[in-house]
Amino acid sequence: MKKFLSLLLIAMLAIGMLAVAGCGGAEEEPAQQEPAAEENTISKLVVGSETAYAPFEMVDDATGDYIGFDMDIIKAIGEAMEVEVEIRSMEFTALIPALQNGQIDCAISAMSITEERSQVVDFSDSYFDAGLIIAVAADTEGIETLDDLKGKVLAAQIGTIGADACVAVKAEDPATEVKTYDHVGEAFMELQKGGADAVVNDMPVTAYYVKTEASDKVKMVGEVFQADDHYGMPVQKGDAETLTLLNEGLAKIKADGTYDEIYAKWFE
Amino acid sequence: MIVVNNLHKSFGKLEVLKGIDCHIHQKEVVCVIGPSGSGKSTFLRCINRLEEAQQGKIFIDGEEVTAPNADINRIRQEMGMVFQLFNLFPHKTTLENVTLAPIKIKKMSKEKADDIAIGLLRKVGLGDKDHVFPSQLSGGQKQRVAIARALAMQPKVMLFDEPTSSLDPEMVGEVLEVMKDLAHEGMTMIVVTHEMGFAREVGHRVFFMDEGILMEEGTPAQIFDNPQNPRTQSFLSKVL
Amino acid sequence: MNLGFTNTEWIFGTTIIDRLHEIYGFQVVVNNLPNFGMGAWLTLEITVFSIAIGMVLGLIAALGRMSKIKVIKSIAVAYIDFFRGTPLFVQILLLYFGIIPLIFDASPIQSAIIACGLNSGAYVAEIIRAGIQAVDKGQMEAARSLGMTHGQAMIHIIFPQAFKIVIPPLINEFIMLLKDTSLVSAISVGELTHTGKMLYASTYQAVWVWGAVCVFYFIMTKALSILGDWTERRLATE
Repeated sequence: MKKFLSLLLIAMLAIGMLAVAGCGGAEEEPAQQEPAAEENTISKLVVGSETAYAPFEMVDDATGDYIGFDMDIIKAIGEAMEVEVEIRSMEFTALIPALQNGQIDCAISAMSITEERSQVVDFSDSYFDAGLIIAVAADTEGIETLDDLKGKVLAAQIGTIGADACVAVKAEDPATEVKTYDHVGEAFMELQKGGADAVVNDMPVTAYYVKTEASDKVKMVGEVFQADDHYGMPVQKGDAETLTLLNEGLAKIKADGTYDEIYAKWFE
Repeated sequence: MIVVNNLHKSFGKLEVLKGIDCHIHQKEVVCVIGPSGSGKSTFLRCINRLEEAQQGKIFIDGEEVTAPNADINRIRQEMGMVFQLFNLFPHKTTLENVTLAPIKIKKMSKEKADDIAIGLLRKVGLGDKDHVFPSQLSGGQKQRVAIARALAMQPKVMLFDEPTSSLDPEMVGEVLEVMKDLAHEGMTMIVVTHEMGFAREVGHRVFFMDEGILMEEGTPAQIFDNPQNPRTQSFLSKVL
Repeated sequence: MNLGFTNTEWIFGTTIIDRLHEIYGFQVVVNNLPNFGMGAWLTLEITVFSIAIGMVLGLIAALGRMSKIKVIKSIAVAYIDFFRGTPLFVQILLLYFGIIPLIFDASPIQSAIIACGLNSGAYVAEIIRAGIQAVDKGQMEAARSLGMTHGQAMIHIIFPQAFKIVIPPLINEFIMLLKDTSLVSAISVGELTHTGKMLYASTYQAVWVWGAVCVFYFIMTKALSILGDWTERRLATE
């Protein structure tokens, strides 16, 4: 038992030290990278994305390439700013830690600009205005607003503002049950198999899912809410150079009509 | 008492028994000798159907052991078997090794089974070892417990499959002594053995087997002093 | 490595604790200890029920696999092959979203237990089969020669000896299973890993959150292996 306790203690200490060291490292890294940044020689952007969020990012069945609205936008920015773009597919919840560790330069993944996130990363200018919508099974009646969700079983993706909205409903009525999944697709599956009453998620994604996958089984109800929801591209806190590059690129493609072309391609 | 008719047994393409016929009487002690690979152990194991013969019949007291619908579990209760490697149950004490079958199969009360078992252990000279586990016994002691275990079911016949072959030489005597006593009490016994001295002294009849055939049988005097078959002669010249 | 302490501060435990409390990640972990505890409890529940299912299925499948009846043997082999030959993660999703809803209306936790139990059963079956086959052939012969039926010989002679042989690999399987229950997080079961994911998604304190999750898993697996050692020792002295 003694041996076990001491082992445990060592394990906890080791983890604790790693953690402390990790925090220190994260704070220091930008400082170390700054000299490079001043030279203004970004030639390649490593971009993180959760490539399971159609129509913003997904994998092309036929070619295996990453496609979607976000993918087109970041590629267009890359072309406009003459930098190479490499997409790295990862879990949505891993994007911000990956930025903090410097594993990726920025992310484009239908990520809403929120106060909490802004505390740990910097966001580019907004490139898309979204908002949340409630989706229910086609034969469900009587759910239209957030209030109707009280006491129901809700499904959402971990770490999204949709999940935050569900948690907020639960805070008002503890009888509400919130089921969270790694990917939004599983939340929709749960809805279809009857394990959830509603999915709360970004409107464009839900609209795309209903249109392409389940027009006879799932329907959107009510109005778009949290319509002040804007997508931005996060970069490491203090990484002004990447931020500038993204904002300049975004301005360029908006100015020359590329953005409108891409928008039309995916949403009209 | 035991009648064997035209017994054939093969393992795959290897023919081990090529038609054995014999007749063993009540209270008779038969010793089976022969070179290794001659089929003596297989013959013994066919009698209680640890090996299934392909052809031929075996009768015990007129009941056909080899019949497809024979109640082999009941028949086996009447035939005790002692193995070369003892096969004691290592997770049970000496006493439990002996009482297990009477309690579980004959539904004997534990008290009665214990009484009988202690008597049997005394008989094989191990009355003081009843609560010992097999791992703490010598080879000779293990084999004596194994004999007691087989006797606990009060069998009509005892089958011995080279009971002393894996013992250290100094322990062979104690086991043979127990078997000798058993023979004197009138137990019907079939003993596969390499102990020629035992076969000569205790056996009523000796079978000589080679290449799956019962080559020669007779009294110990006939077999050992005046063998007729050249195979028997050659075998005995090597071992005696 | 900058630990955020000066050397003298290391000497005084209280100063270290004070310092830790200033770190956001540490606060996150401490404030969420009850959540971790509930997650760990659920992990333990799923593990225990899955072990129970796995043991029963494993014993049946092991005997089925050794059966002389062809149909029974093929069913057992198919079951074992499927659950050992495909990833548990995929089985969890397939069972939860695909197969179990066709049969009855199961909660995510029930589905998780069924999936982990079915998966574990396949591994337990192979462990038990190996254990039974490791018992000396002479034991079965000795028991049969006394007049025991195959079943009696199994129960009184083979199983007790196989039991000792299978304890260490079984404990190992239970430890694997406990860790593998982290996969049921995918179907929204709020066990330890799911608790970690949720917390991590809202705080981004990867190292602290996953570090704490590790410690909880470690405590549970260590407890299991101590239990295993103890059982082994007790059986050895018997």
